[in-house]
Amino acid sequence: MKTNYLFSNRYKKVGWFLFIPGLILGIVFLICESDISFFNFKVFSIAEQAIFSDANFFSISENNVLDEISSILMITGALLIAFSKEKYEDEFISKIRLESLVWATYINYAILLLAIIFVHDMTFLWVLVFNMFTLLIFFLIRFNLALTKSKNQISDEE
Amino acid sequence: MKNSIKVERAKNNMTQAKLAELVKVSRQTINAIELGKYNLSTILALKIAHVFNQSIHVIFELEESDWES
Repeated sequence: MKTNYLFSNRYKKVGWFLFIPGLILGIVFLICESDISFFNFKVFSIAEQAIFSDANFFSISENNVLDEISSILMITGALLIAFSKEKYEDEFISKIRLESLVWATYINYAILLLAIIFVHDMTFLWVLVFNMFTLLIFFLIRFNLALTKSKNQISDEE
Repeated sequence: MKNSIKVERAKNNMTQAKLAELVKVSRQTINAIELGKYNLSTILALKIAHVFNQSIHVIFELEESDWES
């Protein structure tokens, strides 16, 4: 059966090569925030507004790009890992893939709904930050657990 | 849906891995079908029947519960 919208299997490795450095940079950002001046650059922004100042549109401004780099690496990496074909991507694997995606979406939004109700003010901003990545991460965990389970069932049969 | 893939494999002295290779799916898929954990597509059912040189009805059989949605 043809499976659409998936990358070739070899992109899975590429995904890991992007995701791991992205994750490390993300952790560095969480620890140091914008303190590393090495990452300060003048960047083009469609919209930006610092706290207590007016909004600027289509402007050039100084920005610490550590969070941008980390986010881009993590998201593209996780997308490639999640949506590259398995070695044998067949109809059963596609079913597990779909089920895992549905499950991950439910869990992701269930947590977001709880956070909307119980987390407020600036702390909620952190919820939104993490929420950028959690859907893909929940999917990866659920999908790989389900795959491992089905592989283990083979060894039980033998 | 019941199936007799395991029986047919035994008759033909064929491993799950060999059948998987012949019908171009993973071993997990053959295993899940045998265990009744996955309802396969018509194309795959036809391929499996073809490999065993049998009619599809010999290998796959509807159950009462299949009529309940």
